[in-house]
Amino acid sequence: MDSLAFDRNRFRKRRRSSALAMGLCLVATLIGLGCLAAVLLTLVAKGFSGLSLEIFTKMTPPPGSDGGLLNAIAGSVVMTVLGVVIGTPIAILAGTYMAEYGRHSRLTLVIRFINDILLSAPSIVIGLFVYTIMVAPMHHFSALAGAVSLAIIVIPVVVRTTEDMLRLVPDQLREAAASVGIPRAIMIRKIAYKAAWSGIITGVLLAIARISGETAPLLFTALNNQFWSTNVNAPMASLPVVIFQFALSPYSDWQKFAWTGALLITMTVLALSIFARALGARGATR
Amino acid sequence: MERQRTLARFRRSDKIFRNLTFVAAILVLSLLGAVAVSLVTGAWPAMKEFGFDFLTTESWNPVTEKFGALAPIYGTLVTSFIAMLIAVPIGLGIAIFLTESCPMPLRRPIGAAIELLAGIPSIIFGIWGLFVLAPLLQTTVQPALIALFGNIPVLSGLFAGPPYGIGVLTASLILAVMVLPFVTAVSRDVFETVPTSLKEAAYGIGCTRWEVVRNVVIPHTRVGLIGGVMLGLGRALGETMAVTFVIGNAHRISMSLLAPGTTISATIANEFTEADGDLYTSSLILLGLLLFLITMTILAGARFLLWRIDQGMKS
Amino acid sequence: MTAVSPLVARPRELSAVPDTERLTIKNLNFYYGSHQALKNVSLPIYSHRVTAFIGPSGCGKSTLLRVLNRMYDLYPGMRAEGEVAFDGEDILSPRTDLNLLRARVGMVFQKPTPFPMSIYDNIAFSIGLYERLSDADMNDRVEEALRAAALWDEVKDKLQMNGQSLSGGQQQRLCIARTVAVRPEVILLDEPCSALDPLSTARIEELIHDLRKRYTICIVTHNLQQAVRVSDYTAFMYLGELVEFGTTTHIFSAPDQPRTQDYITGRFG
Repeated sequence: MDSLAFDRNRFRKRRRSSALAMGLCLVATLIGLGCLAAVLLTLVAKGFSGLSLEIFTKMTPPPGSDGGLLNAIAGSVVMTVLGVVIGTPIAILAGTYMAEYGRHSRLTLVIRFINDILLSAPSIVIGLFVYTIMVAPMHHFSALAGAVSLAIIVIPVVVRTTEDMLRLVPDQLREAAASVGIPRAIMIRKIAYKAAWSGIITGVLLAIARISGETAPLLFTALNNQFWSTNVNAPMASLPVVIFQFALSPYSDWQKFAWTGALLITMTVLALSIFARALGARGATR
Repeated sequence: MERQRTLARFRRSDKIFRNLTFVAAILVLSLLGAVAVSLVTGAWPAMKEFGFDFLTTESWNPVTEKFGALAPIYGTLVTSFIAMLIAVPIGLGIAIFLTESCPMPLRRPIGAAIELLAGIPSIIFGIWGLFVLAPLLQTTVQPALIALFGNIPVLSGLFAGPPYGIGVLTASLILAVMVLPFVTAVSRDVFETVPTSLKEAAYGIGCTRWEVVRNVVIPHTRVGLIGGVMLGLGRALGETMAVTFVIGNAHRISMSLLAPGTTISATIANEFTEADGDLYTSSLILLGLLLFLITMTILAGARFLLWRIDQGMKS
Repeated sequence: MTAVSPLVARPRELSAVPDTERLTIKNLNFYYGSHQALKNVSLPIYSHRVTAFIGPSGCGKSTLLRVLNRMYDLYPGMRAEGEVAFDGEDILSPRTDLNLLRARVGMVFQKPTPFPMSIYDNIAFSIGLYERLSDADMNDRVEEALRAAALWDEVKDKLQMNGQSLSGGQQQRLCIARTVAVRPEVILLDEPCSALDPLSTARIEELIHDLRKRYTICIVTHNLQQAVRVSDYTAFMYLGELVEFGTTTHIFSAPDQPRTQDYITGRFG
């Protein structure tokens, strides 16, 4: 009887410590969700009132005057599109090599390792890299240099998803294509890509989400531009760099523009990643 | 005859496509090497001028062109270390909650919400840190810390000085929030590799939930967790914009966590476009090279550990 | 034990035509890395006949089939030695154009593998690669192939639907239609019915019977009754070796080898 009572005590203690530990895990989750909520609510609270038609129709102003973010938004769009246009084809081709022609080669293992490292390489280092290979030799900052640094951020994301998605395409489909005399290159382009399509698009969308908020690699490649510019060979404004400049300025009206810009970027990024995930989930269940 | 021509065309296009993919793959492969080479080239003048003293000198003086990286290196390591100290337990906690005790219908939405946190651009955390977190810390948390530890030796040094709001502690907190989702995601992934049978066996001999986590799940996934933590650390070390907003940008090593400091990436972001003089620019590139080497080592280590897990799973 | 189905009594209307060798396999050895999967296999494959390959799992019957269109070439570490003559040319030679070989030697797999495209395109796609056809001609070819696979009546109103939306048995017939559409000379069937229900299986067996008039057919099957029902010749394989080859009637009624006897009476395998 005695030992049983003792055991029951001990059991209760164990149960209590388990409940305590799992409770702490719940608290951790609430902290994480709280951070997300805090950031999003602040953005809406401080940025929403600045949203107006003028944001999308007027240029960034000098302190104290009216204006909008048109040149910054346009610059971001131009460089993001260029970055994706440069990076995606290279990445899809490289991912194709890794999943198809080089599937069993040692080279693919090495590339995958390098690519995974690139995936989390600090973006500011990529900015420095593009500065030394493009801006310094050309003696001027340019939107093109900005787009190239964004492309270098796009590449590892898309390489990774392309390879993963093509590997999910069953070998039977490749064999079936071969069995009716379809050459390898046509099989890959017309059948494997088709089967892996939604996954690859998901990867591209996630890459767009990632670069549309990137600031560090643009600081010393595309620099900034107070005016409207569509010349990719000249400095160009971008939303993140304008936010950086305006937020750190002492002018409260500039800071307000920064908050509005921040809200715009965050909404874009979140919408893109939610859409990408939904698309990815749909592809996965099929 | 026509068939022969078709077949020849197939052979040609097969070869072209294959070579195209190969060239792209080699391009990706050489990217990392190209980054290293270009940084070394750019950093060469500063390396020649300062040698190893660059690593041990605290002074950073653009006027006299004397540059030393000790302060940014120190700031980088300290902020990342504190960030990990905060993010790892919380991230693990979230991962444990999500895999072990979260009600099924909530798992996906909560997991997705944490992943969204990872998607928020770093500049957003920067502006939030500067305008929301820093004032909050300045008026509430920091005075409390100073009062609490003011009379305890050693700790009083860590929390000395006026509460500026911005500084090493604030930067660390922002970094912690930013790496949190990475730690969570990797931990959750490796937790899910624990075979259900193993957990059931532990429950079967009467283990409580926490005992299963502590004695089965965590030991079983040890290597993967270390890999995940290192991945988060790699992120923290290279993070730029958020830190640049809130660290205060002072080339000074201070014992106090409340004092302003700087990190490698914040120094580059702040000074690069304004750097006049080749030696100044070169020194900043050398800083970038250091950051590159540190993060590459950490990331390669992390990838290697995670890769070993994958291999283990396959065999 | 060998409950011989009534279908075996089907009249062998082609047996009056003399057998001619379409493929001649001589001293074929096959290796997966260091593992030898086929050991010195030699046999003829006769034109316009159905040859069945039977034997327990892992005996090399599927491997042998995959040598005949060099499907193994898609993977590294596999190699074949010996000779496989197809109309006098050795298909194992490195000079063989694999696209052409596979267009001439079609294959249908265990699991139905429709391409991720419409029913129509599943068939038209590979035809279009080799032949420039007008839309009307292409429509005719698609219809012809679908009729040959006894699928036309079921899908003629939904040709633009995705091929993957069909039922398993329909998908498999679509794959057969796709194979015959490129007008091959030989058709390889790798356990084509093992994923199908009995009704679909019966339809496919009927189909094989019809296809025999125009094509040379090789079928791998683990179902002995199926071998009896559909084939003219049977090869029994065991542990990578060809134990016995002969007419199906001979193999199933009076095999020469005791091992064959044991297998067809269900004593092992």
